[in-house]
Amino acid sequence: MLKRLLLIRGAEIIVFALLAAIPLMVSNSYALGLLTLLAIYGILLIGLDVTVGYLGQVNLAHAAFLGLGAYAAGLSVSLLGFGMLSALAVSMLVGLILGGLLAFPALRLEGPQFALATLSFSALSATILNEWEGLTSGAQGLQVSRPIFWGHTVNAQGFYWLCLILLALVWMAMRNLLSSQWGRAFEALRDSPIATDAMGVGTYRHKVAGFALGSALGSLAGGLYAFNFQYLQPQSFGYELMVILLLGVVLGGRKSLWGAFFGASLVALLPNLLSNRLLFEIISAVGLLAALLAGARGLMKKTTQPFQAIAPILAMGLLVVGGMFVKNTEDWRKAIFALMLFSVVVGLPEGLMGFAARFLIQLFRIDPPALPPASVLDTVLPAKAPNGAPLLKLQDLKRYFGGVKAVDGVSITVHSGRIHGLIGPNGSGKSTAVNVISGLYAPSAGEMLLHGKALPRGMFQVSKTGVSRTFQNLQLFSELSALDNVMVAMKGVYRTPLPLVLMGLARGEEKRAQADALALLELVSLRQDARVSAKDLTYGDQRFLEIARALARKPELLILDEPAAGLSLPDVNKLVKIIWSIHERGITIILIEHHMDVVSELCDMVTVLDGGRVIAEGSAEEVKRDPKVIAAYLGTADEADTADAV
Amino acid sequence: MLVVENLHAGYGTSKVLTGASLEVAKGKVVALIGANGAGKTTTMRAISGMLKPGKGRVLLDGKPVQGKDASRIARLGLAHAPEGRKVFGPLSTEDNLLLGAYSHLPLFFGFRAKSAHDLERVYDLFPLLRERRLQAAGTLSGGEQQMLAIGRALMANPKVMLLDEPSMGLAPVIVQEVFNTIRRLKAEGITLLLVEQFAKSALEVADYAYVMERGRIVAEGAPAELHKDERVLAAYLG
Repeated sequence: MLKRLLLIRGAEIIVFALLAAIPLMVSNSYALGLLTLLAIYGILLIGLDVTVGYLGQVNLAHAAFLGLGAYAAGLSVSLLGFGMLSALAVSMLVGLILGGLLAFPALRLEGPQFALATLSFSALSATILNEWEGLTSGAQGLQVSRPIFWGHTVNAQGFYWLCLILLALVWMAMRNLLSSQWGRAFEALRDSPIATDAMGVGTYRHKVAGFALGSALGSLAGGLYAFNFQYLQPQSFGYELMVILLLGVVLGGRKSLWGAFFGASLVALLPNLLSNRLLFEIISAVGLLAALLAGARGLMKKTTQPFQAIAPILAMGLLVVGGMFVKNTEDWRKAIFALMLFSVVVGLPEGLMGFAARFLIQLFRIDPPALPPASVLDTVLPAKAPNGAPLLKLQDLKRYFGGVKAVDGVSITVHSGRIHGLIGPNGSGKSTAVNVISGLYAPSAGEMLLHGKALPRGMFQVSKTGVSRTFQNLQLFSELSALDNVMVAMKGVYRTPLPLVLMGLARGEEKRAQADALALLELVSLRQDARVSAKDLTYGDQRFLEIARALARKPELLILDEPAAGLSLPDVNKLVKIIWSIHERGITIILIEHHMDVVSELCDMVTVLDGGRVIAEGSAEEVKRDPKVIAAYLGTADEADTADAV
Repeated sequence: MLVVENLHAGYGTSKVLTGASLEVAKGKVVALIGANGAGKTTTMRAISGMLKPGKGRVLLDGKPVQGKDASRIARLGLAHAPEGRKVFGPLSTEDNLLLGAYSHLPLFFGFRAKSAHDLERVYDLFPLLRERRLQAAGTLSGGEQQMLAIGRALMANPKVMLLDEPSMGLAPVIVQEVFNTIRRLKAEGITLLLVEQFAKSALEVADYAYVMERGRIVAEGAPAELHKDERVLAAYLG
């Protein structure tokens, strides 16, 4: 634990101290310019990493936000006479507001459409900067003077330190944010937006907030950019810069502050280093050597495919050979970038920093941080004595898809504390019914009453009422660990407001959430797998993890949608035990299941659906004898034939 | 017809299969049973080439196929009806079936005439699919999709067919129908490797069975012999 803290925090402190000390040792204005650019691009790329890395969206508007921030800062100095800090605050605010406005419509879109929406935003902003000549002087460019900072003029060295301090502040704030519930939510909604809504994490809200925050950082960097160069032209913030920024994030490594920092140094320094012939030759030779070594190592250990090993070697080889024939490397800058990007994307899909982090963790044997002891289950899920009164009432519920009547007038009453079975043939409307209850689909007609009050519309709203669910087709956050999966859904723990989270004051509730989540993992016997990512769990354990995650909502009503599907006999027995222990805590359960022996053992009451309507209701024994149920669902084949299937 | 020797496979650094060996003789139905996470589906994927095995051999009709691309192995006569059915949702039932025969059919002209006989055979086996032939596969019920997945595999006229969890998430009445289908396939002489959670039902249709635990085969035999094995009985047959 201590070693982890020392190594990771130590590395950060050393790097920042070194960066701060360089101008004291070297007095070279060219080097100082590069360092300032590095700090500015660092802030810029950390902002871009929020959307590209954490939200997993291709964001093509970041260069535009840099430009808007730059002009906002420049104009508020020249027109309004603002000082440095207030001008920077203005540019950040411009990014935050415009980012939020763009995000509202754009984040309703997915994948390529989102990318196109951001692309049209940058086209729009470039046109405005160009054509609104009265304000921006258009293509002629805008002169910006560096304003005073708390009554002092700032020289180049002082400005560099200011940029570096801002980078450090942004770094710390983002580290706090991304290691809190916010960061977890960002990653979770990339894996399964449906599940984040169902688990009470507003998908859309978080996406908009993340995008606005990233854009605000981009515009803050823009303000610094304006005061650094003191001359702005709209075309500096065009497509070329945008591509280079994306390159920086991917090269450096997504979802990592260090990655953004490395990306920034590449973006800021490489073009300048490449113009020096000797440096270029050294870089390309080192690149080739690295590709050869990494490829050979990967092939020997069989961790990479031949294509992955060979393609980077060929690309770097081309760079070395090409370097011998090309006269001016500066002219070939984009081609060189392209070859490097290709090598990294193919050979190191997680970026330079992702690769280095894995390597360093092995080298220093850094353990993941220790986990707190699990909470007592009674404090996480207090046992309640149910009163047996009606909890959920469906009245003549209907849901049509076009002409298909998936649910066609279903009335069910679920009593509190019971396990209520819902069975029926495939396509009989069971899953549609629970999707309507949990808010994924709106009902076409009918009423749904919880405690006599109408259920709200939308999964996010329903998740707040004490209704929680699992999914027939697993909807886990597959990249997150088992522990994080449960922590994302944890209800009633995260109370710290955002500004305090940024200041790192949410650590206490984070520990508490960990302890509570461990207690729930223990309930489904996954405690020892807390750090395993969900996608690496066995299929059965993934089913159990979904149950633990649903319990983190501390539900009054838990809907289990085919929890035993695909489970082998030992796991089915384990599932039955888990459901009993949830039942003992007084939680009402709706169980959709095809394993009739599970249904018979657990359920107090069973409703049978067929063709979207209720065809039978009663105890498990009653419905099993019902001729309509036998004909539609159980089948009439002799008992021994499919003994374990029935 | 299908021989698997000492097969190793895994995902990234996690090793799932650690030396699995099994054999499927021509015209036989062989069942592979075991707990979740034992490596049954991984075995299927490693055989059909969807996952490259790290070590070991897979012989199809005497010829080694391990390490080849999945499409290549399919053309050599192995059809895989995967877990979760994986039908082509937006395409019609009939187009799904025709894609199953892709490797035998001409690309542009005459593929309908050439496939008519095979289509008839599948429609005779699953009359429901004939009724739904123009309906998008994604709108079929779970049971119908499973029939379609089996029918699609049959269209390739495979030497060996892999059938992964055909009963998953289906109503009991449909599960019975799936097992009846497997019996009919067996009567037609199809060579079949079957992974199934309903171990009891699987053993009833199988000629021979393997029990898998932690990436290895731990027991094998004719169903009657396995029924005598107390450990297998307790763990998988309830």
